[in-house]
Amino acid sequence: MTASIAEPISTQSLDAGPFSGVRVLRPETCKMFKGLHSLLHVQVADDEDGLGLYRAVHAVRAFPVSSPNEYIVLKYPDEIGIDQEVGLIMDISEFPAAAQELIHESLMAQYFEYSITRIYGVTWKFHLLFFDVETTQGRLEFQMRWQVDRAQDYGDHSKVLLDVSDNRYVIQDIRELPKADREKYLRYIYW
Amino acid sequence: MSAPTILAATATIPSEIYTRLSQAHIRVDDVLIAVEGDLDDLGRIEPIWLIVTESSVSSIPLSAEQPVSGPYSMESIEDFRIRNSVGSASLQVVLEGLPVDLVRFTNRHRERFQRVLTQMKRLREGTGFQPDLLQKQDPRFCDSCGLILPAVGSPCPRCVNQGAIFWRTFRLLSGYGSWAVALFALMLVGIAFDLLPPYLTRILVDDVLTSRDHTDWLPWLVLSLAGAAMLRSVVNIFVARLSSLIGTRITTDVRQQLFAKLEQMSIDYYDRMEVGRLMNRCIADVEALQGFVNQLAQGFLINILMIGSIGVMLFYLDAQLAMYVLIPVPFVVGGTVYFYKRIYPRYYKLSDTQSKLSSTINSTLSGIRLVKAFAQEAREAERFTKTNNDLRDSRRHVDMSVGTFSPIMAYVFGLGGLIIWFVGGQNVLSDRITLGTLMAFLGYLGMFYGPLSSLTQFSNWLTSFMTASQRVFEILDVDPGIHDNPDAKPMNRIEGEIEFSEVSFGYDPYNPVIHEVSFKINPGEMIGIVGRSGSGKSTLINLLCRFYDVQEGGVKIDGHDVRDIRRQDIRRHIGLVLQEPFLFRASITDNIAYGRPDAKLEDIINAAKAANAHDFIMRQPAGYDTILGEQGAGLSGGERQRVSIARALLCDPAILILDEATSSVDTESEQQIQDALAILCKNRTTIAIAHRLSTLRDSDRILVIDNGRLAEEGSHHELMDYEGIYHRLVRIQTQLTSLEL
Repeated sequence: MTASIAEPISTQSLDAGPFSGVRVLRPETCKMFKGLHSLLHVQVADDEDGLGLYRAVHAVRAFPVSSPNEYIVLKYPDEIGIDQEVGLIMDISEFPAAAQELIHESLMAQYFEYSITRIYGVTWKFHLLFFDVETTQGRLEFQMRWQVDRAQDYGDHSKVLLDVSDNRYVIQDIRELPKADREKYLRYIYW
Repeated sequence: MSAPTILAATATIPSEIYTRLSQAHIRVDDVLIAVEGDLDDLGRIEPIWLIVTESSVSSIPLSAEQPVSGPYSMESIEDFRIRNSVGSASLQVVLEGLPVDLVRFTNRHRERFQRVLTQMKRLREGTGFQPDLLQKQDPRFCDSCGLILPAVGSPCPRCVNQGAIFWRTFRLLSGYGSWAVALFALMLVGIAFDLLPPYLTRILVDDVLTSRDHTDWLPWLVLSLAGAAMLRSVVNIFVARLSSLIGTRITTDVRQQLFAKLEQMSIDYYDRMEVGRLMNRCIADVEALQGFVNQLAQGFLINILMIGSIGVMLFYLDAQLAMYVLIPVPFVVGGTVYFYKRIYPRYYKLSDTQSKLSSTINSTLSGIRLVKAFAQEAREAERFTKTNNDLRDSRRHVDMSVGTFSPIMAYVFGLGGLIIWFVGGQNVLSDRITLGTLMAFLGYLGMFYGPLSSLTQFSNWLTSFMTASQRVFEILDVDPGIHDNPDAKPMNRIEGEIEFSEVSFGYDPYNPVIHEVSFKINPGEMIGIVGRSGSGKSTLINLLCRFYDVQEGGVKIDGHDVRDIRRQDIRRHIGLVLQEPFLFRASITDNIAYGRPDAKLEDIINAAKAANAHDFIMRQPAGYDTILGEQGAGLSGGERQRVSIARALLCDPAILILDEATSSVDTESEQQIQDALAILCKNRTTIAIAHRLSTLRDSDRILVIDNGRLAEEGSHHELMDYEGIYHRLVRIQTQLTSLEL
């Protein structure tokens, strides 16, 4: 799959304010496509680093909670496998549909979270919470340590629960859970 | 060919995978490893199998609709690696310099794939396949039941007998056996004095007041009642004193053990635990053990004994009437079960919020200078208010629940007393029992429901006690992390040769921060280590001091692996001067002599003189006896650093480590410290980490660490000629210095 390319291609840096030094990637400055081994490739014009073509690129959200589709950083591994930055996409929607699809695919490969929609049971034993929940991936059970750092704020009314293996379970809006589910949850996750 | 090692939810490879294997021209007999991953590229839960043979790897989705990835021949693969992303990870092959995802998996399989990665690398490098290591259990989980352990090496809370916690606490009394026996004997005597008055009342009513047969007994009976009450009070005094004596000794002993254990813990443990919470365990949770003894002596044990004794007396007086006493028992049991199930979690919540409040106060007060410097008092106050309100709410929930539960239960027991009045009254009217017997019965009944009512609090006390004591025992039982090898050699003398061989390490084992670093330092050499912040410089020091153990490779001192040297010896021969010198609340003398408490005063003065500390110490009114405040308060940053250098100098270490020793002091202080360090470094192996590169110019060699790898190595001039990272860093600093000028 190849993203459509807008002409002319140029690299733009924002000179003013806090973005100074961050290379902003705009549809007209770069093209995206799947290249060798079906990896995401990004071609940047007027590239100060002189690379031009970045291979095995992946996308990372700068603000995964507050702005999941904005401020997307593209990274590539250097010759020793350390991630280096290609640049910053201000808003995915600025890009053509094909490029958007590639960015979203890359983000899906970068992030994996279960989204909890119901809480059927929470029990406490051995300093662990045993959850029985419905998620967008189906019904499942997991265990998490009953510690403050294992249930983290994830936006104003959202929480992410980290199980004993660091898998992530997001409750998008605690207020929208059914009352009985909410009570089960708040009995233990009260912070 | 032997059977493949299968790491999956099933014991065999599914038939669909076999079919696809043959389609991909992979012989089933050649499969060495078959591992099940659980995510596809787009984050959907899909079983995908990683198939490894001696000559190739491939990933095969169970669903025929998804394409097979590979097979990739071992010759074409440059490397294998695991890439961690958010909530999942991927095993990648490096082909033509590019990392290609082979199989993706959720975090629950990270340990499994980490082991597979190691074996795949061995297969590719031809260093031998180790199928046994693939089957190794994840040490974070219990081997028997699979439950996550509180920490690696800790006992499994599910497999440990829960009653054992109670008995373990009980066994703490064994050290005070004779006192405990005396306490128990006093409790029994006290109960005997409690049982006497109702029985005397029965005689008083039946033989003196009603029948008037023995009116002359009246003063003696009253005197006996007064004597029993007085003796009961005397026994109470001794019981209270003895239980306090035992309780305080037990808590002191346990606190001592706890502190000793905390000192043994590896640095890794403190990375995971908040100091405020540990303080809470040492102070508040240990105090719960004192409560245990008090409860035994004056609470639940005595109540249980009292109920048993009174039960005997009730059945002795009138067995039929005594049966009515049992009516409330089902309510007691039901109430206790309810209490345990519904109110228990609220106690833990209360305990947790107390810890959080403690942590909040600790962190704010520890960083009070920073708070004030950034004028964030209001924000900290808001943070405190939130935690304080949480504690208020938690306490209120507990108090309200208990406050509602207890009166209801007391009312139920009161109804039991009315039943006795009604049935017993009828028996008196029908002359089946005497009035004195009923009065004695009611007297015992009053004493029976009192302890029984307080027993409804038993679950309340037991749960809070169990929670606290489990938290204490959890620390006592946890593996300290780093052990001395039983065959560790004592090393009374160290020459100072250091060797890192292919060392890899990560604070999180899945995210290495040091990658295959190798270098050798000769005795007496001065080595500088430079690199960007977070490049892994201080981690190398942590590994040399054995604050952590390497995950791959080895660190040697004088040709011996540090794991084979007693930690005590390693640290005795290493002097550490840190960026932020830690000084204790003690005299300057004690701070300098911290590593050598038996040092002569003239040695201390010599060390201070060599560290350029003597002059400012002598300007203090109390000289070397000046008591420093918390973390050396009362001295400037440069003065604190010079005291810490004197401390290192006094120990005369074979290896000296300077970790940014001059980076947080002013230029004048830096010069004085540099002069002191020049003396300190003489004739000993010195490793200096510094951002200010001018301080490392005269090093014999400089190691440049970049992203956890040894990027460059050589003298200042060699590295400048090489024009690599070091050259770039020097150029930047030179430009900055000229700008400052």
